[in-house]
Amino acid sequence: MTDVTTSLHLTVNGALRRLDVDPHRTLLDILRAELGLKGPKYGCGMAQCGACTVLVDGAPARACVMRAGKVGAREVTTLEGLADAETGALHPVQAAFVAEEGAQCGYCLNGLVMSAVALLRQDPNPDESLIRAALAHNLCRCGTHKEIVASVLHAARAMAAEASGQAATETGAMSE
Amino acid sequence: MTDLSEGSLSIHRDTETGRDTFVTFDSAGVVTAFNGHVDLGTGIQTALAQIVAEEIDLPLERVQVILGDTARTPDQGPTIASETIQIAAVPLRAAAAQLRQELMRRGARRLNAPETGVELRDGVIHWKDTSVRLEALLEGRAESLPLELSTPVKAPSDYRIVGHKTARQDLPAKVTGTHTYIHDVDVAGMVHGHVIRPPYSGRDSGPFIGTSLIGWDETAVRDMPGFIAVVRDGDFLGVVATRADQAQAIADALPVQWRQPPEQVDLRDLRHAIRNQPATPRALDRSGDFDAGLADSDVSLSRTYVWPYHLHGSIGPSCAVADWNDGAPIVWSGSQNPHMLRGDLATLTGLPADQIDIRRYQAAGCYGRNCADDVCGDALLLARAIGRPVRVQLTRAQEHLWEPKGAAQLMDITGGLKDGALHAYSLDTWYPSNRGPNLALLLTGAVSPEPRPSDMGDRTTIPPYRIPHKRITVHDMAPIVRAAWMRGVSALPNTFAHESFIDEMAYEAGKDPVAFRLEHIEDARAADLIRRTADAAGWDARDTPRLRREGRMAYGSGFAYATYVHGPFPGTAAAAAAWVCDVAIDMETGEVTMTRVFVGQDQGLVINPDGVRHQIHGNINQTASRVLKEEVSFDEITVTPQSWATYPIMTFPEVPEIDTLLIERPEEPALGVGESAAVPSAAAIANAIFDATGVRMREAPFTPERMRDALGIAPRETMPPALPGRTPPRRRTRRKPRVLAMAAAIGGALTAGAVALPMARSIPASAAPGAGSFSSDLLERGAQVFATGNCATCHTAEGGVANAGGRPIETPFGTIYTTNLTPDRDTGLGGWSFTAFDRAMRKGISRDGHNLYPAFPYTSFARMSGEDMYALYGYLQTLPPVRAEVPTAQMVFPTNLRPTNAVWNALFHRPAELAPDPAQSDDWNRGRYLVEGAGHCSACHSPRNALGAEQTGAAALSGATIKGWFAPALAGSAAGARGWDADSLYSYLRDGVAPGRAAASGPMADVVASLAPVPDADIRAMATYLATLTEGTEVAAPEPVLPNAPDATHRLFESACATCHEPAIAGTVTAAHVPLGQSTAVRAPTPEGLETVIREGLVAPMTHDLRDMPAFGGELSDTQIESLGRYLRARYAPDLPAWE
Repeated sequence: MTDVTTSLHLTVNGALRRLDVDPHRTLLDILRAELGLKGPKYGCGMAQCGACTVLVDGAPARACVMRAGKVGAREVTTLEGLADAETGALHPVQAAFVAEEGAQCGYCLNGLVMSAVALLRQDPNPDESLIRAALAHNLCRCGTHKEIVASVLHAARAMAAEASGQAATETGAMSE
Repeated sequence: MTDLSEGSLSIHRDTETGRDTFVTFDSAGVVTAFNGHVDLGTGIQTALAQIVAEEIDLPLERVQVILGDTARTPDQGPTIASETIQIAAVPLRAAAAQLRQELMRRGARRLNAPETGVELRDGVIHWKDTSVRLEALLEGRAESLPLELSTPVKAPSDYRIVGHKTARQDLPAKVTGTHTYIHDVDVAGMVHGHVIRPPYSGRDSGPFIGTSLIGWDETAVRDMPGFIAVVRDGDFLGVVATRADQAQAIADALPVQWRQPPEQVDLRDLRHAIRNQPATPRALDRSGDFDAGLADSDVSLSRTYVWPYHLHGSIGPSCAVADWNDGAPIVWSGSQNPHMLRGDLATLTGLPADQIDIRRYQAAGCYGRNCADDVCGDALLLARAIGRPVRVQLTRAQEHLWEPKGAAQLMDITGGLKDGALHAYSLDTWYPSNRGPNLALLLTGAVSPEPRPSDMGDRTTIPPYRIPHKRITVHDMAPIVRAAWMRGVSALPNTFAHESFIDEMAYEAGKDPVAFRLEHIEDARAADLIRRTADAAGWDARDTPRLRREGRMAYGSGFAYATYVHGPFPGTAAAAAAWVCDVAIDMETGEVTMTRVFVGQDQGLVINPDGVRHQIHGNINQTASRVLKEEVSFDEITVTPQSWATYPIMTFPEVPEIDTLLIERPEEPALGVGESAAVPSAAAIANAIFDATGVRMREAPFTPERMRDALGIAPRETMPPALPGRTPPRRRTRRKPRVLAMAAAIGGALTAGAVALPMARSIPASAAPGAGSFSSDLLERGAQVFATGNCATCHTAEGGVANAGGRPIETPFGTIYTTNLTPDRDTGLGGWSFTAFDRAMRKGISRDGHNLYPAFPYTSFARMSGEDMYALYGYLQTLPPVRAEVPTAQMVFPTNLRPTNAVWNALFHRPAELAPDPAQSDDWNRGRYLVEGAGHCSACHSPRNALGAEQTGAAALSGATIKGWFAPALAGSAAGARGWDADSLYSYLRDGVAPGRAAASGPMADVVASLAPVPDADIRAMATYLATLTEGTEVAAPEPVLPNAPDATHRLFESACATCHEPAIAGTVTAAHVPLGQSTAVRAPTPEGLETVIREGLVAPMTHDLRDMPAFGGELSDTQIESLGRYLRARYAPDLPAWE
């Protein structure tokens, strides 16, 4: 028996990475073991808990059930890739989870932040029940649900404020 | 940390085992605090930093806290019973105060000032206009003073940091993925272990523990990539490999033989199972004369309460790294109890404990004793064996199966009222749990596997009410299955019993439950908590259940209170908590929704108000989940849940609204808050259910099944078939290679293989024409024919060389092996002339005259044109020759007899090339040729008769189940109803996905992948032809229908399947392409195809955007899979009849 190693090209957090790996290994395994990206966590290996969630072309993916070879040319974003690459400023969703203390042990945090980012990309202004429904398949055992929902609401508000600020700036620029 | 040689000042305590340092102030101006407890994800690190910063008057950022490392922190016992703030922080606070006192003394001396006159601000001591920085007061060497516990500490009224909102120190790193959990530890030179656990999952006593391993075959795995070692010690078995995925693959492939474990006590009936185990009664309270008091009562009741087994259910399965380090091991651990773990590892290895260094990292929240310590034993055994650092990551299944469970519990209460007041009260409580001996100790036989009783059932056993005659008894007993403490320990079930019973007594007395409690409570703080919580929550007094109804919903609220008493009896009181909760009950389905919880809590001094609130919220959500949803299931041998599929926990849409009331008592000592709010939960919910329905729930969890049973709601279910347990243990069939089943599907009922004696003449071997004799155009055409026929899949063995055959195909008539298609002269087609090849392809006769079994689809191939046949021949003859003997088929009578196949051919085979239909377009004719010829679609999509022949006429391509997979109808109204047209068929065959309609899966996904080299025009032609076979118009998939009697199968779907089949966020990349309502397997005439997908999962070809699905055959029993299939049919194909 031999290793089925092929050359795999993965775009992760904006960088194109060439890896000589078995493409049948899970994306989670490759991210953690080969790329040292420990944000995504192993929780169940069955797509049930969400701790491994990453974004693939902006949509959530359970990295524990997705083989690395399945990613293709799509862009992978992990928790480590959310902050502003130049300034290091946290993504508004990350900042909101810090502000509202949306974690106890924080092991599920990766999945919740990534899911929230995906949700707010689709629906920038969700109400509490929509947020709860969108996080229905992310498990949290510490019982931090209340703070997590508050974090997502906080992020939505912050992003809306930022967007309206930007819009105002743009409008201002145009009127000049 | 800075170099302490530049000067430092510590406060320590010398013990028998060495020096414990509590705080060190260093020349960088930083205080490091050391505490033997650990942060279980509760933010305790921040709270301890607050305490230290407060006492020393330093800004919080100049305090760092080291938790749990055995080499650096004092042994303060395990981090349990919410003791960190209440107990473990006491010497830390005194040490911090002492450190400040010493520095202030030095500062005053340096500034020539009176000691009482100097002021400390931001790490600088001031006297008039002079000042000195604290670090300047160090003497250039490491100094240490013995702890004086009597050092005065700050008055709470002076607190500036404690009691105020303080941001969690760990969150910025956690939210960016840079916090190092134990799972993230990388040690130089580290390799990876994977343990193989015995078949007696979760059991810890009996002579078979540690003695069940018969043997294993290392030679079967030694050549696998990354292999380093197989390590065995008793029943401990593990493999080590370079990478974690390799270690797991090797562990999965290693043949291991175990003795069959004996059956265990029937844990489906906990009430009797627990009561019938050996136990030793221990009297805890005998005040008054219970018997006389009961006889004297006006009213008496006897009630029994049952609590199930629970999983701690950490979201991250346990992980550890160990380095043997030449006999001075270092273990990187997520332990809750580093010092206790060190003792266990000393026993395991025979080393002195102080030679072992435990370095503690945060793990996923544990809520008690899980596998965090076990995995350290695993890693250390492997590291010792191979002499390199080894990381072990347990799987979800291993954690679920083996974690010491939160124990089941049985409580009997008898009580009496006299003149409307509690008069007599007895509690008998059974708690089959101990401290969970380290698994490595048990598996290796380092400790003997006899039953080990413990004393932890006595927590919160004394009711907090004034009762003149009491008889309180705990029945100390050993675990039945592996068990250890879990949040609330025995106090939570004991309080479930107490506070449910008190509620019942209140109604017997005709009193409001809150008022009744207040009449009986003596402690003024407790009374204040009860009163203020009820008021703030808007409690409506009632003396009878209110039974409020709106439509099908019933509404109620309930109250419960407890002061959590932990530690060995009589124990220590932690924070007291009172619950008011509102429930809504669907009186048709029995579903209980907890809509709101109000918790009041008295914890004395509050260190970090947000931290306290978060603990309350966590306790509420977690215990609501335990009370409403959770129970561990068992079969005859073992624990059964291996994932969240069969152990669902509460989800975001289900959690209640929460309000809290913190009763602030800054002058009182800080009390532990880690568990208190959990303790009243079950009783409060049960009492609310009573208010809504008049029904008393005395056995948790309060599932819809139990509610329907209690409420007498039809359909009254007997044992739902999907409840796990009592099914024969299944061999783990993790991800059975699906391609094999696919091959079988394409092979059909009978299959290829020259197994009968020759009937026809042999065609002599002759060398094939040289590669140069085939034109490149011809070879390209041959490649396309080869792709259209998807030949490679059947003719390649699992893990074997492409097209060299040898794939075993099980048929109802026996097992045959596919042939070697490569031009090897002896074992392949190298000696085959075109005449021989053409005869085999068209007539099913091998070169040597054997009849080939007709599932080798020669009945289709006979329709191929001569040109295509020759092109295919040429293509095969130019493949690289591979020598590969194919095993002989084993067929059963009469298919092993030589005339059978010949007769079969005479009956069913019409070998003739297809003539074009002049009335149809060229495209159509081309499509028909490909579909009916090389494509051999009918091999799967046409039903077969009893002799394995494809049915024709109206039955042709009308759908069939073949070797467990369902191949849907391609012709007729069934295909038409799905709305297939040429465009969608084209997308499907080209990309594997017809958006919104279908996605190829299972064997068909491989067919689509195989079609990749086929030109678009041919794909289009097939789509054109297939589209004309459909009849009628599209029928929209019906709307799914939720079950009216939700049960374990419904919960299984919601926890294991919904994540991909009802994705919560649109566009989820790993979710199914099309809804289950469109699934042909769900709409098939039999459940077989659906059950196959559930059992085997899907491994989609890499070349297409088709999705994988995990296999559930390793976890779910056949009964559960069958139930899930029926559930899917009812929910997603409500227009179709249930399967027989």
